[in-house]
Amino acid sequence: MTDIIYSEAEKTYILHGIQENYREDGRGCEDYRHMEIETGVVSNTTGSARVRLANTDLLVGIKAELGSPSPDNPNCGCIEFFVDCSANATPQFEGRGGEELATEISNVLTRAYSNSTSLDLKSLCIIPKQQCWILYIDVLFLECGGNLFDAASVGVKAALFNTKIPNVTVNQDEDDMEIELSDDPFDVQRIDIKSAPCIVTLSKIGHHHVVDASQKEEACCLARLMMGVTADSTITALKKEGWGSLNPESIFEMMESGKNVGKVLNASLLSLLEDEEKGSKRKTVGFLK
Amino acid sequence: MAGLELLSDQGFRIDGRRPNELRKIQCRLGVFKQSDGSAYIEQGNTKVLAAVYGPHEVRGSRSKMLHDKVLVNCQYSMATFSTGERKKRPRGDRKSTEMTMHLKQTFDAVILTSLYPRSQIDIYVEVLQSDGGNYCASVNAATLALIDAGIPLKDYVCACSAGFVNDTSIVDISYLEESGGGPELIVATLPKSEQIVFLEMNSRLHEDNLSKVLDVASKGCKDIYEILDRAVREHVSKVSHSLATTD
Amino acid sequence: MATVDIRLVSTRGIKKKSDHVDEIKNLVTPGDVITSDSGFMRGHGTFMEEGKLHASVAGVVEHVNKLICVKPLKTRYNGEIGDVVIGRIIEVCQRRWKVETHSKLNSVLMLSSVNLPGGELRRRSEEDEKLMRHYLKEGDLISAEVQNVMGDGCLSLHTRSLKYGKLGQGTLLSISPSLIKRRKTHFHNLPCGASVILGNNGYIWITPNIDDESQNTGGYEQNLQPVPQTDREVVARLRNCILALAANHMIIYDTNIMYAFEASISFTVKELLKPEVISEMIDLVQQRIDMEGT
Repeated sequence: MTDIIYSEAEKTYILHGIQENYREDGRGCEDYRHMEIETGVVSNTTGSARVRLANTDLLVGIKAELGSPSPDNPNCGCIEFFVDCSANATPQFEGRGGEELATEISNVLTRAYSNSTSLDLKSLCIIPKQQCWILYIDVLFLECGGNLFDAASVGVKAALFNTKIPNVTVNQDEDDMEIELSDDPFDVQRIDIKSAPCIVTLSKIGHHHVVDASQKEEACCLARLMMGVTADSTITALKKEGWGSLNPESIFEMMESGKNVGKVLNASLLSLLEDEEKGSKRKTVGFLK
Repeated sequence: MAGLELLSDQGFRIDGRRPNELRKIQCRLGVFKQSDGSAYIEQGNTKVLAAVYGPHEVRGSRSKMLHDKVLVNCQYSMATFSTGERKKRPRGDRKSTEMTMHLKQTFDAVILTSLYPRSQIDIYVEVLQSDGGNYCASVNAATLALIDAGIPLKDYVCACSAGFVNDTSIVDISYLEESGGGPELIVATLPKSEQIVFLEMNSRLHEDNLSKVLDVASKGCKDIYEILDRAVREHVSKVSHSLATTD
Repeated sequence: MATVDIRLVSTRGIKKKSDHVDEIKNLVTPGDVITSDSGFMRGHGTFMEEGKLHASVAGVVEHVNKLICVKPLKTRYNGEIGDVVIGRIIEVCQRRWKVETHSKLNSVLMLSSVNLPGGELRRRSEEDEKLMRHYLKEGDLISAEVQNVMGDGCLSLHTRSLKYGKLGQGTLLSISPSLIKRRKTHFHNLPCGASVILGNNGYIWITPNIDDESQNTGGYEQNLQPVPQTDREVVARLRNCILALAANHMIIYDTNIMYAFEASISFTVKELLKPEVISEMIDLVQQRIDMEGT
């Protein structure tokens, strides 16, 4: 991301550390850095979440809008991902500088969610072939400290959990259909995220792979594997990225650890979100602390 | 205007404020680590983040480099989910290009630019949630971020908007009041020297009323200055305290 | 075993002891009038207007005889002659290197201001000019001293001492330059088995103590052998300690670093990334500073 070139010796130091399962900050190869989450931070969205993973900071906002379903899936609603890398994160993203990365991230997210099991899109349908909910899921990066993909997916999942779509009633009089939105803030439809995936990125550095690579580690990494993993270790997407090449064996190895890590990540996230929901009396902190 | 009473007979506005009352302002300096300075401000439901990078070597083409002063570079951008109706693009549209230009002019006037020849200062503003007064909140956030970055300024820049309804000037107008179609005056001032660095008015207002509205807006800027200054002083005191005790 | 550490924002920050601090004395913010007495000299962070001296940054007013300065909490690095800095080579140019040192402009290292391999002082030949990228290339880290500050604030560096030169294996941290205390020496061989260089520009280099042989070559011959695990652990611990101190706005110098290192010893290095462990460690350091100070 940030175009810092690191010296040979620095890279060697990182590489040898990973070989010994001891990273620059003392983590092992399968450890995530500290992560903080808050949902419901942007009040004019249907659902929102903020994630801070070490130095990586992002905001996810979901807006539900009425629209017409795609002809291919007339009984389903739609989700659409959009990622924006703000120049606040790094001056390199100014203007259109972050667009390439943003497209890449939104593509991986789209891929991870583009299957019938991740989300129950049928529940977003209002009138088959005519009206459905379209969820616009917008990710905004505010600071970059490595591992943007995983952080984005965690944010998306948390924001989906937070999403409250108003219930609708369809009044049919002869040919005319009328949709009525409920304006009661408690009369809402929630989204089941039990089988929604998180992205786990495995960066191959030397002969080993690590999760949650820092920016420096990303600079040392030649190839990485991005996987969409659900709570029951199902893989919903797989993408190899980077200019290095990987052996089939090492891909399987990486997938194995990706599945394990993904399971832990999904489980911790879900229990946390449920905790947050229970603690009813809560003041949104946002960026004020 | 049908159905929407911007100012009730009792003299209250839609959100319950009096005509000369600001929305609640909360702010924080030093939100992020990687930028040289950053700040966050909430003015009612308008929430803005600002980051400052620099002064640093001019990036990109060297032809932009100024030999006698620093190059001030701004970008105004709005999160796609910030508005009531979803925005298609976060920046690049006419409105945000205009905002970018306004910000640049405003801060060119207040930064002591001659101190850093041949370098560049970036000011990036990101509106996270918009409920009227985006420009004002952006200016206020950017001022705080510049102070956090330790960049020399002539003064604070504080911006405030004002409207005019039923022969009454109202300060710090919200989105609802903005979209009512009445006149809107946006002013950015240097509160200590009482100079105006930015002035813009939309819609129609009788000349006789202009000075009244301008007074209200300037008063609003002063009130905002008090709040920002208090936040800066608190922040500096807190950090200096811990610096001093560990020295 | 994989570990994932996710928290809610709302569960953070129970500790609130320094929630309110009284305003410190002589605090000014941009635009404040410091004095209208014309007998004073205008220093950094101030400007003259209408015969009055104003502050241009937020900070505490400092008087040195007739000179008045205001020092902001954090800025880019303002170089002074004699400062120790750490920088990264970003460009190899004609007879000089451009070095990134977290200052307002890139610094310059002239070919004539480095010790070439072998150490002896000699005229720089054309041969040397061609080999410049061989000595130092883009991305390499160096420690150097500020030789001169040019008119526009650009720094010129030199490495003409054996303690300066190219850096080998280790970890670079970047913190605010104002947290680094100016001291007699910025090179410390810490008793815990690692050495740190505290660059005045806010860059800190932590490296395992390797035998002194590499020091004589000015770092041109690099040791790329794996670093033993124990050394690695010390470096990682120091890294997390220093970052924790910096995040809590504490001044960084060798004594503080050692306090933090010793206070952290009851935790694993990995735990030092967690906020509650950090605040516990910082409290211990603070107590120790208070105790030693009185």
